[in-house]
Amino acid sequence: MELDKSLVSGSMAMLVLKLLEDGDKYGYQMIEELRRRSDDTFHLKAGTLYPLLHGLEEKGLVTAYEGEAAAGKPRRYYRLTKRGGAALREKEAAWNDYARAVGRVLEGGACLA
Amino acid sequence: MPETIQGYIETVEAQIRWRRARPVVSLELRRHLEDQRDAFAAEGREDPERLAVEEMGDPVSVGTELDRLHRPRPQWGLLGMTIALACLGAFLRVGFACSSFVMTVLALALGTAALLGMYFLDVSSLARRPRAIYVGALAAGVLALCLLPHVNYYTAYYIRYVILLYPAVYALWLYSCRGTGWRNFALAVAGGIPLAVIAMLASFMFGLFILLVCGLVLLLCAVWMGWFGPGRWKFAGTALVLAVGMPALFFGMGYGESFVMRLRLALHPELDPKGAGYAGWIMKRYLEDVPLVRERSGSFAAGIGFGGRMYGGLFGGERGYTEFRIDQEFIPLSLLVEFGWLAYLLLMAAITALLVWLLVRCLRQKHQVGRLTALAVVLSLGLETLFSAALNLGFVFFVAHLPLVSGNLHTVIDMALIGLALSVFRGGSVLRDEPPTGKRRSVFPWRVKISVVSTKEE
Repeated sequence: MELDKSLVSGSMAMLVLKLLEDGDKYGYQMIEELRRRSDDTFHLKAGTLYPLLHGLEEKGLVTAYEGEAAAGKPRRYYRLTKRGGAALREKEAAWNDYARAVGRVLEGGACLA
Repeated sequence: MPETIQGYIETVEAQIRWRRARPVVSLELRRHLEDQRDAFAAEGREDPERLAVEEMGDPVSVGTELDRLHRPRPQWGLLGMTIALACLGAFLRVGFACSSFVMTVLALALGTAALLGMYFLDVSSLARRPRAIYVGALAAGVLALCLLPHVNYYTAYYIRYVILLYPAVYALWLYSCRGTGWRNFALAVAGGIPLAVIAMLASFMFGLFILLVCGLVLLLCAVWMGWFGPGRWKFAGTALVLAVGMPALFFGMGYGESFVMRLRLALHPELDPKGAGYAGWIMKRYLEDVPLVRERSGSFAAGIGFGGRMYGGLFGGERGYTEFRIDQEFIPLSLLVEFGWLAYLLLMAAITALLVWLLVRCLRQKHQVGRLTALAVVLSLGLETLFSAALNLGFVFFVAHLPLVSGNLHTVIDMALIGLALSVFRGGSVLRDEPPTGKRRSVFPWRVKISVVSTKEE
């Protein structure tokens, strides 16, 4: 099923931060990991990812450093900061509230008497 | 839509107006494209490069978005405040220190040029050649020692303008010593020794003091940022032991007596009011009945502003009384005596506000070498301000100048240093810390290959 892009775009920052929660990653790794963990549902374009990562770095939610990937190739790794971790928890809570509310509406229940 | 990696990168770069940001952005995109191309090639797909480019998305919209993120951060406020304070300093030098109007205006123009020149400098170009800069600064110090005229008895007076740059040079040296282990840490510490020796040979004790204090703080910051690998407490402890051990060594060598006497006379100039304590003693007398606000009194004795005696140097052959001549370091005191405490406090508050503003910006920097270089500038200017304030209140321990106010050449150097810090703040979004190479490198950036060719015939 093709996913509506507008559903994903607003939550992409949260997904990227979530990916970094498990450890430092570089851009290509993040795209592959996101695809794997979403069973190929989220196919993030690199052209979307890098401006997003640079924006998160600017806000201090992630930091970046040069590290070595497989075969000694230099890559720019991103790491979640404390501020980024706090922002992730906030976004997760907001998303869960939103998802529950949407679920209730779709199921047709939970209306006030 | 381009079909090659190079074409894609060029299209993205064309959207980014700030040239300095282009290589930083394109390097990361190129690496990604190469990874994607190799993955497609490994899957046996045809034309993997074109497919990798298609995966990236529209290069124009990517470039436009990156252009929005990577813009220089103008520092107009700090630039304006620096120039305004330098203008005020020039006015005070002409008004209170009888500085030549032409020379003062020339210094202001040169200082503004140095400020703007450094402001537009690409700091990452300095970070790419830290050891060359270090060797250059050492060579400049040695040449200055040998060639500059000796105006203050036997010291090459003007070398102090080179030495004032040394804290920033040491920050770059520390950056070049990054790498795990004690060898890198020892190299980082050892790099400070030749700089300190030059300051000692120049008998510029305040410069040496600034270098030692800044050097210690910068070294501790480098340790804390993990530049020498894990074991931060061990490295920090060693740095602190060295910081305590060095003065203890000098005391053991017999220089302690001179230091203690100098400190004692600085705190209690009345102990020798007609000798080494004269300047401090008379300054305190002047300060006794100064009101908060005063109409220009004209009562300030010019003599105090032109010379005095200080008890000994801290090292070397400077033991005993040392005469010093100062023409501009007492401008804040002149202002205080002529117009009252309010004028003095406003001047000091303005300089302090500039330094605090610089420090706040410095601490927000993510780029490590940039942050350390800016910190070196703020620390050295802060120490000068602190000791200048103390000097002008009768604590004659170091002859310190007030940044942007005292001295024409000093003002030029101060403005250049502030420009360096502002350059870091301006280029913050594209500054990148290069990883340590991990290879053992020579202290010197150049290698000379000598080939011996035998001309002897068989």
